[in-house]
Amino acid sequence: LVSLRQAAVNQLRARVIRRHGRDSLPISINRRRIYILPTRFGYMLGAILAAMLIAGLNYNSNLALAFAFLMASMALVTMHHCNRNMLRLSVDVTTEVDAFAGREALLEFELRNGSRVDRRDIEVRCMSAVGMNSVAAGESATIEVIAPVAQRGVTRVTQFELRTRYPFGWFYSWTYVQGSIAVYVAPAPLGNRALPSGSAQGTGSHSEARGDEDFSGLRAYQPGMPLKHMAWKVLARGGEPVVRSYSSLAAQPEWLDWSMLEGLDTEARLSQLCLWVLESDAAQRPYGLRVPGKELAPSGGAAHRFACLRALAAFGVGEA
Amino acid sequence: MITERVTYEQLLGISGCVALALLAHITTLPLWVPAIVVACGLIRLALARGGRGAPSGSVLVTVAVLVVPLLLVRFHTFNGLVAGTALLSVTAGLKLLETRTRRDIYIITLIIYFVSLAALLEGDSFWLLAYLIGVCWLTTATLLRLTSSGPAPDWRRSLRYGGRVLAQAMPLALVFWLLFPRFAGPLWHIPNDSQTAASGLSDTMSPGDITQLALSDEVAFRVRFEAATPPNSERYWRGPVLDVFDGHTWSRSQASQAGAPTLTPLGPGYQYTVMMEPHRHRWIFMLDWPNSWNLPRSGLTGDYTLMQSEPLSRPVDVVGTSYTHVQSTEPLNSRTRIREVKLPGDRNPRTKALALQLRSTHADAMEFVQAVLAMFAQQPFFYTLTPPKLSDDSVDEFLFNTKRGFCGHYASAFAALARAAGIPARVVTGYQGGTLNPYGGYWILRQSDAHAWTEVWIEGRGWVRIDPTAAIAPERVERGLADVASADESPASAWQRRAHWFSGLQLRFDAVKEMWRERILDFDQDSQRKLLQFLKIPDPDGQKLVMLLAIAMSLVLGWLTWQVRRELAPRSKDETARAYARLCAKLATAGIARVPHEGPEAYALRVARLRPDLAGIATSLCRQYSFLRYSAPSASVTLGQFQAAVRAFRPKATRL
Repeated sequence: LVSLRQAAVNQLRARVIRRHGRDSLPISINRRRIYILPTRFGYMLGAILAAMLIAGLNYNSNLALAFAFLMASMALVTMHHCNRNMLRLSVDVTTEVDAFAGREALLEFELRNGSRVDRRDIEVRCMSAVGMNSVAAGESATIEVIAPVAQRGVTRVTQFELRTRYPFGWFYSWTYVQGSIAVYVAPAPLGNRALPSGSAQGTGSHSEARGDEDFSGLRAYQPGMPLKHMAWKVLARGGEPVVRSYSSLAAQPEWLDWSMLEGLDTEARLSQLCLWVLESDAAQRPYGLRVPGKELAPSGGAAHRFACLRALAAFGVGEA
Repeated sequence: MITERVTYEQLLGISGCVALALLAHITTLPLWVPAIVVACGLIRLALARGGRGAPSGSVLVTVAVLVVPLLLVRFHTFNGLVAGTALLSVTAGLKLLETRTRRDIYIITLIIYFVSLAALLEGDSFWLLAYLIGVCWLTTATLLRLTSSGPAPDWRRSLRYGGRVLAQAMPLALVFWLLFPRFAGPLWHIPNDSQTAASGLSDTMSPGDITQLALSDEVAFRVRFEAATPPNSERYWRGPVLDVFDGHTWSRSQASQAGAPTLTPLGPGYQYTVMMEPHRHRWIFMLDWPNSWNLPRSGLTGDYTLMQSEPLSRPVDVVGTSYTHVQSTEPLNSRTRIREVKLPGDRNPRTKALALQLRSTHADAMEFVQAVLAMFAQQPFFYTLTPPKLSDDSVDEFLFNTKRGFCGHYASAFAALARAAGIPARVVTGYQGGTLNPYGGYWILRQSDAHAWTEVWIEGRGWVRIDPTAAIAPERVERGLADVASADESPASAWQRRAHWFSGLQLRFDAVKEMWRERILDFDQDSQRKLLQFLKIPDPDGQKLVMLLAIAMSLVLGWLTWQVRRELAPRSKDETARAYARLCAKLATAGIARVPHEGPEAYALRVARLRPDLAGIATSLCRQYSFLRYSAPSASVTLGQFQAAVRAFRPKATRL
């Protein structure tokens, strides 16, 4: 029975894709794409309602019938409320997500509720993980789905599910959204090779304290750079956001090269490279990445780190 | 989510709901059943308070093994209503004890719903229904607090939400209730396990029996006359006829089921409806003498009492006709005659002597009757609610010693005298008179209206009703018990006197209760047919009813959909802006949609350019809006005018 149900769900999911194609997010959920079914508890309630009706008819008791009908009507009203809980909810999603193999990917779904009623207990199901949150009237909320990822690579999510059992758990209504999310799963940062700096600067963690002293110029701000280095005065004068650069940041760029790791298998190499990227980034040293078929020029900052990690994630998957 | 552990607060909520649902059964369930459930709840709450989980499975099995046989010993079955309710209640208690996750609480709510319904199978008052809807409301609100992610909404908000769902369900429930087809009888036999004892008159009468009834204010039945109402002295409501006398107690013979002599009506007939309360006896009180009735599985006994085949366990309405004056020219068959003159040989010797002495001077039966009645009137016989106790030779003692008694004493003595004189006589019990409820237009017969009288057989006339009590205290027949009793020293009469001002209110209340019964409790196939007729639907039948149900249901569901989704629209409270938005929408359907950056003036200009035919009105409306929106309040244009103008504005679609 479970497999039968699963087959039906799969069929429905495929049909939804065929019918609606890919959704351009953010999307407002209309009533045509909301499905609704009783929960297990709802079926039990249905059985109790049937028993109530039979008891009322058999005892010819108009009051018992009135009570049974009231309960049944409440179930019908609840069905509408359950459906409404999802209706015209606007959904958006972060299309690119970064994660490390063996850890969790944090998928963020942005829900906007433009109506006058609270939407409670909205679940998002994606990559066999579930996140839940409520969205107050006229507000937005983020639902975080924490999905464990085991394998390095690029996972492309093409469909995720929104589901709610509100208000009484008698029904659940759900919808499929065809939004695409690319989950870049970088290799697990592992390895025992030293950072190929070779220079006397040592490991990054010490450099920061010393580096703060020696101002060496201004660099363009990139997301992820420490705010305490921000040159606020420049910004206040109307200039571009720039950060003060210190000698440690201005150190010689280092190439993190695939070819340096002879003797390791592919995944081990990638893991080592990943660890180096993180170490270099933590040390706030510019670094470049070279893997077969891909070369990223030396740079620093979060954007560069993500680019490198994604390159590692996509290695051999045929993805950029 | 469903497997989340329950909190102390959730447990407290659901335990409270279980307790409230059980409260509706407190009169029918043996007290130890709710006690066990409450104990289970309290133990579980104490455990939760101490931060501990549910007790282990072995504890539960032990409790179940102890309690279920106890139920079986008490009820012998789980098939009956009370037994089933007891079992369900105990299950709820055990479930409460083992509650760990939300799933357990879901199961308990289902039990609460069903236990609430079971209470309605027994009770029938409006208040019970209202109370149980309240319980259901509370239970559902508890459910709302369970399913929420994050912090649960507070009680006030949960109740408000639950209340809204309940309110939206009401119209749908009403449609269902009115139009769902009813069946004539039960689908299968209902085990009659009710603990309620029979009430009202019984089929035996000892001296003093009716006195207990006289103090009861309980309603026995109500009557509505179709047209004319017989005078008070003719409103005798016939109950069991007692024709076997053992010297102390009158009882009903089992042989009296033979066909009764036919009655020829002498006066006008009366048509009426008797609305019986369930008294758990088989007889129905009809006006003396019943002629026709519409009750299935019933018939007249040989002594003209209407009997049903089964004891009355629920209220019934009987439409009947009766004639207050009848006669029967047939002779009494000999077997009946022998039965109706029988007296125990060794009892009441002085009564027999007196009867023979009176008979010797009054050869005619009717003259004999008059003589006895004259004796009651002239000798110091008293009518009292607190007669002295009588021994085995009750009639002797009453006639010659105490001379104080109630209607039962007089009827018993009179019938005994007549029998001793060789005149067939019997005691008839029933009700007499009644109180008119002016607010409802019907008569109420209370237990205090219970009465006993006699019938004697007069050749050529048939059975003739003689009410010996009338000879002593004529007021008893003319005005009713309350006034007679006030002359006596009984505390009940004093209470009745004091409560006189109260009776108006009481009658009003009774009228409402009667309406509730007639309109709600007795709603049936016939009422549904009348409803269809009222809606001018030709040839009302079950099929039409189902069709109407389907139509009404889809209408209500449509309304519901609108009602539920209406709240989704971000509605602006700004009336002016709304009217303007309506104007823009109308112009958009005419082919010119307002672009978001366009102000009213620019929009009006564009409309004028594209649709010269609309130029005047559009410009005027847009200017009105500008006025309302941007200038100080003035008399030149009001919001109401603007709204009306927008409503009246019907631009034609683009002609291209």
